Amino acid sequence: MKPRVLTGRWSVGALVIGLIVGACTPAASPSSPAASQPTGSAAAPSESGPAASVATGQGGTLSIAWNSDIQYFDPAKGYDVVSWPAERLIYEQLLGYDTGTKLQPLLADGMPTVSADGKAYTVKIHSGVKFVKPDGSVLREMNADDVVASFNRVLDPKLKPSASPVSSAFFGNIVGANDVIGGKAETASGIKKIDDLTVEFDLVTADATFLNILATPFASIVPKETVHDSAEVAKSPIGTGPYVLKDYTKGTQATFVANKNYWQTGQPYLDEIDFKVGVDDNAAIQQIEADQLDMMGDPLPAGSFTQITTDPKYKDQLVTHTLVDTDYLFMDTQQPNNGPLSKPAVRQALEYAIDKDNILKLVHGAGVKADCIFPPDMPGFDANCHPYTFDQAKAKQMLADAGYPNGFESHLYTDTTDPDPSIAQALQQDLAAVGVKVDITTEEFATFLDRIETPHKAPLGWVGWFQDYPDPSDFIDPILSCASAVQGGANAALYCNKDVDALAKAARGETDNAKRLQEYQQIQTMIMADAPWVPVRHQVWFTLVSTRVANFQIHPVWQYDLRNVQLKPGS
Amino acid sequence: MTAQPAAVVVDHEVAEYPSGSRVWRALGRNPSFWLGSVMVVLIVAAAALAPVLAPHDPDQQFRREGLDAHGDPIGPSPGFPLGTDLLGRDELSRLLYGARSSLTVGIVANVLATLIGVIVGSVAAFAGRRVLRIGRRNGPAIRIVLPIETVLMRVTDAILSFPVLLLAIALVAIVGPSLPLVVAVIAGVLWTGVARIVHGRMLVLRESEFVTAARAVGVRTPRIVTHHVLPHLSSIIVVYATLGIASTVLFEATLSFLGVGIPLPAATWGQMISQHLGYYDTDPRLVVLPGLAIMVTILAFNLLGDALADALDPHHWR
Repeated sequence: MKPRVLTGRWSVGALVIGLIVGACTPAASPSSPAASQPTGSAAAPSESGPAASVATGQGGTLSIAWNSDIQYFDPAKGYDVVSWPAERLIYEQLLGYDTGTKLQPLLADGMPTVSADGKAYTVKIHSGVKFVKPDGSVLREMNADDVVASFNRVLDPKLKPSASPVSSAFFGNIVGANDVIGGKAETASGIKKIDDLTVEFDLVTADATFLNILATPFASIVPKETVHDSAEVAKSPIGTGPYVLKDYTKGTQATFVANKNYWQTGQPYLDEIDFKVGVDDNAAIQQIEADQLDMMGDPLPAGSFTQITTDPKYKDQLVTHTLVDTDYLFMDTQQPNNGPLSKPAVRQALEYAIDKDNILKLVHGAGVKADCIFPPDMPGFDANCHPYTFDQAKAKQMLADAGYPNGFESHLYTDTTDPDPSIAQALQQDLAAVGVKVDITTEEFATFLDRIETPHKAPLGWVGWFQDYPDPSDFIDPILSCASAVQGGANAALYCNKDVDALAKAARGETDNAKRLQEYQQIQTMIMADAPWVPVRHQVWFTLVSTRVANFQIHPVWQYDLRNVQLKPGS
Repeated sequence: MTAQPAAVVVDHEVAEYPSGSRVWRALGRNPSFWLGSVMVVLIVAAAALAPVLAPHDPDQQFRREGLDAHGDPIGPSPGFPLGTDLLGRDELSRLLYGARSSLTVGIVANVLATLIGVIVGSVAAFAGRRVLRIGRRNGPAIRIVLPIETVLMRVTDAILSFPVLLLAIALVAIVGPSLPLVVAVIAGVLWTGVARIVHGRMLVLRESEFVTAARAVGVRTPRIVTHHVLPHLSSIIVVYATLGIASTVLFEATLSFLGVGIPLPAATWGQMISQHLGYYDTDPRLVVLPGLAIMVTILAFNLLGDALADALDPHHWR
């Protein structure tokens, strides 16, 4: 995979930027309440909106608050924690996930058939799927041309305002894709229309993760007429999803209303979903308590964490989930001028220096201690992987043995979102305890990302990584491979080990799943021996919902999947 | 007196400038002065003696004893007189060291700002417009008019109207946050007020009889400014600088609050508030204490400044 700027999936502290998502529950549409009685008059649906007449399920209006605004309504571009849940309502992909991480067909009619060599994927697409405009009217039915156009659109280097952040990383393995990305061709020869309802994807090398990639929002199917300009798309996004974007006021609110022409019966459940953006966490909690708001898209803030998690009154309103995420302290493994961090012995010493239990305490226990790379719930996770334990005396000794009896000075960077500045200060004290004096700089998130994706601009940094799809390759190729250790790459530690790279390449093409996971565990052990990161925690998400909300759980890939949320009757 | 033209007032001021003993007498009668100066002395003492008074190192995180079982800060207790903050650091120690940051910035930035303001204001008032003559002594020459006053004062106006926070945030993005940068940003903005006041007063004094007299006996302009005019402005400069400290302390707190102030983990009052905003509901102590510290400091310097202004105001003596 070629290196790309994978900004979105960075998860930083509380702010998990970028999730992934995939799927829906459509195919196995949960016991659709055969119902078409509009019971949902409770929460006044948008006046003339198409929703008013629909009311499948229970109806009603759900509101959710976010700190940040929706960045993109364009599935080729969106790569952050707010854009994905919004895209999830409007767009759909060929494949999706069930409520867990099991892949299932969505717009595809059955799972794709794969050729014997693992390089050709043939996908039948569902007939009768309608593209619906924001005003609720039907554009037309989806066909194979739209699928072909959608994939070529993601590859387009001239996409405005800039190319898709994952065009090469996710789709570069399709035959001809790199010609399109490089501007040498308009369409990739490996994306073929077989007939009106059949598409074939040809890959350069066999790739076990391709099905997962088909379930990412970047692989959403949009009409072939869709312009290659994200700003234009935002004005009138057209997809096949259960909701349409009725109204959007930048910095304030996005209003989604039910798509009455949705192709699956029984959905959508609600009349309207309101995204209220720019809402402070504490204000959101108060509004939820007052029943003026149903959900918050951000985790509980530190100040009210204990109060809410310990008060029995909130027991039924608390939603919690261990994210498929690893937060870590990275070290510049290629530190210039033969710097201390370029020496494996020094980095190994620092692995012993960090008091991870203390950091978990600082975040009120909203985390699981991380000793290795893969999070729990990620295939390849190894519960017995604990290569280093907390032992500052040992760290000091190892630093002395490595030639730094008096430690050294360095600089630690992180972003300004809570609790990251606090964690950075805890790391600072841990490092000082073994003689490593670091200064801290906290930067606004975008500035910080730019810094850590530029080689050698951050000798030490605190950051997290959230899965794009449930496959261990997503924790190796984009952030720990040689190809990603470049300008614009997400390998902040600039870690590059040719042996690891070779094994990762083999694992990616391996079709025997058991063997494959074993290879990834071996990769993990090799990387931890080189110590490019000190893994610290896997985030546990705690959030509050109103008493009206039913059937909401954090999705392991989508995180906020609002398609299945319903409101309790009578509320 | 309200109907008197400004020049007349100033002539009067020049003539009846209050003497030292009168000033002290006026101050002594003013309760604001006593209250303000006692508070300022206490705050300065707290800052100066922070290493002695503080029970703990302000940056030391007490992870076991300073945080409760949930990981929350603890309230006042024998080991921590004012409790701890969200990292288990001693709140009292951080407040004391926070006074150091605030006063350092307040005093250094103000001294710088006053210096720049006085220089710019004086030069603008006395340089006025200069004509540069290029050419032979008696022959044809090119004359270039240098509108020094206009340029200096319009630059002052421009800076006054510039959104300071935006400038500060932009500078921090480029240079990275640091104490000298905070001082530079504050001084770089604050001098404009001093410059305008000094300039305005000097315009009037420039036309006064004692300046004309000094000129007549051949005193050169720089000396007139430093030896004859500036002493008349000392009171207003002192008052302005004192009041300036109050606004500087607040501005430093604002910058730190926004994360563009003095870098972590240094204790500053603004940062202490911003880090604990989420606790205003569950543990208001963490927001209220540094807020009170800021308030008291500003109040102290304002009281002192107002008292000085009253005492040094010649109209007071009529």
